[in-house]
Amino acid sequence: MDTNTNRTPLYNEHINLGARMVAFAGWEMPIQYTGILDEHKCVRENIGLFDVSHMGEVFVYGKDSVNFLQHVVPQNIAKLTTGKAVYCQLTKEDGGIIDDLIIYRLEDKSDLPSFLLIINASRVKEDMEWLEQNNAALALDVVIDNQSANLSLIALQGPKSSELIELIGIKSDEQPEYFSIKQTILESTDVLLSRTGYTGEDGFEILVKNEEAATLWNLLMEKGKELGIKPIGLGARDTLRLEAALHLYGQDMDETTTPVEASLGWSIPKDKKEDYNGKAKILSQFDNKPSKMLVGFKMIDRAIPRHNYEIYINGENAGTVTSGGVSPTLEANIGLGYIDTKYPTKSGAIIEIMIRNKLYKAEISKRPFVPKSHQKAIKK
Amino acid sequence: MSAPDGTLCTKTHEYVIPEGNNVYRIGITDHAVHQLGDIVFVELPDLDSTFEKGEVFGTVESVKAASELYMPAGGKVIELNETLLKEPELINNDTFGAGWFIKVALNDVADLAEALEYDEYIEDIEE
Repeated sequence: MDTNTNRTPLYNEHINLGARMVAFAGWEMPIQYTGILDEHKCVRENIGLFDVSHMGEVFVYGKDSVNFLQHVVPQNIAKLTTGKAVYCQLTKEDGGIIDDLIIYRLEDKSDLPSFLLIINASRVKEDMEWLEQNNAALALDVVIDNQSANLSLIALQGPKSSELIELIGIKSDEQPEYFSIKQTILESTDVLLSRTGYTGEDGFEILVKNEEAATLWNLLMEKGKELGIKPIGLGARDTLRLEAALHLYGQDMDETTTPVEASLGWSIPKDKKEDYNGKAKILSQFDNKPSKMLVGFKMIDRAIPRHNYEIYINGENAGTVTSGGVSPTLEANIGLGYIDTKYPTKSGAIIEIMIRNKLYKAEISKRPFVPKSHQKAIKK
Repeated sequence: MSAPDGTLCTKTHEYVIPEGNNVYRIGITDHAVHQLGDIVFVELPDLDSTFEKGEVFGTVESVKAASELYMPAGGKVIELNETLLKEPELINNDTFGAGWFIKVALNDVADLAEALEYDEYIEDIEE
């Protein structure tokens, strides 16, 4: 392993659990423990624990923090109330996506608005440069504080997640609702507890100081035993998110794709008055269909679509697969990819995937591929 | 999981097990299986198809990647393990037994001269 790779505070826990480690985004991470299919099933049926400490955490606060964030993401941050979260993209002037992230509004800091940004491990450097560049240009009264090096993130996902948090002492009606966050204590460890995740299941992402990560991990593994908890690696994290049709930055979108092209138009408000990077381009794409769009598809012929395989329609090269693989839950093979919008992008449209010089049929499909069960976490 | 007596292995991690009467059973080694992880898909050649030594005769896919399979020796495919198409996990669970891919009739057994006996193969890959 490259000596320049970082290790999270949970490295020893992974080794003790028999993890197979792999280098990812400059970090030595567990790709699997008991096996990808076994881990995937455990999250869908019970509960799984993920070390996602490689991700980045940036605090943005101060008098102009709302104005600042309004400028760097299309989403309407002024509408974000304390304790709530929103899925966003950092966009460029040409509408291209720098990263996707979740922005949480925390309790005010010294009576001023305060936010947490959780960003992709592979983009921490780029995001910080971009935020600082924008801050310098806008000259606002805002603090941008990258705490990634001091914080660990543990994700708990699966239908029994809420039950486990209750076993640890936070009753169901005291737990944050879906896409909400609260500061709390899990058996004497201070945490930020967020009802978010990357699997399509109900679950939590728990932010904790590095020094307390191992204590928290072991607490969850211990208390979760009776619920069938297992540690889950990056391999199953990927198969789970693909079933939920959640995008992976760098594969399903990048600086050359706008949110509309990446089929994230649902996250873009049409009535936000404030200007933001790429606003004109992004809004124009609602009126004038972009030339390419991300679609989801399910294989009809027996074959597995994978990243970078070419898509053909009517015998012509029409696009590329961005993510693809097996869906253990559906026992089918699924994928995401961009196609030229001169072709139909509606569910049911037939496309073909070139795999080792042969074409295999697939059908454009509704997303998510597997229905999301986190809806249970929304209080009526 | 242990390889039966007489198992030969190639540098590309296929195994060849002689069954007598010029029939050889071909699969992938336990080392290859361990590297791949959960196997989810197999593509087999047509029955009666013929291949040269070193030619690609099929594909095995894990969750994360697709790998091609190379003929350890030239010959004709005389039997296919079609159960693998529905139950690829047999390759993980019974690599040298129920996890076999194809049976072939060899053109020339001398093609196997460079293949290693199982114990030598294990030593070789540990280097």
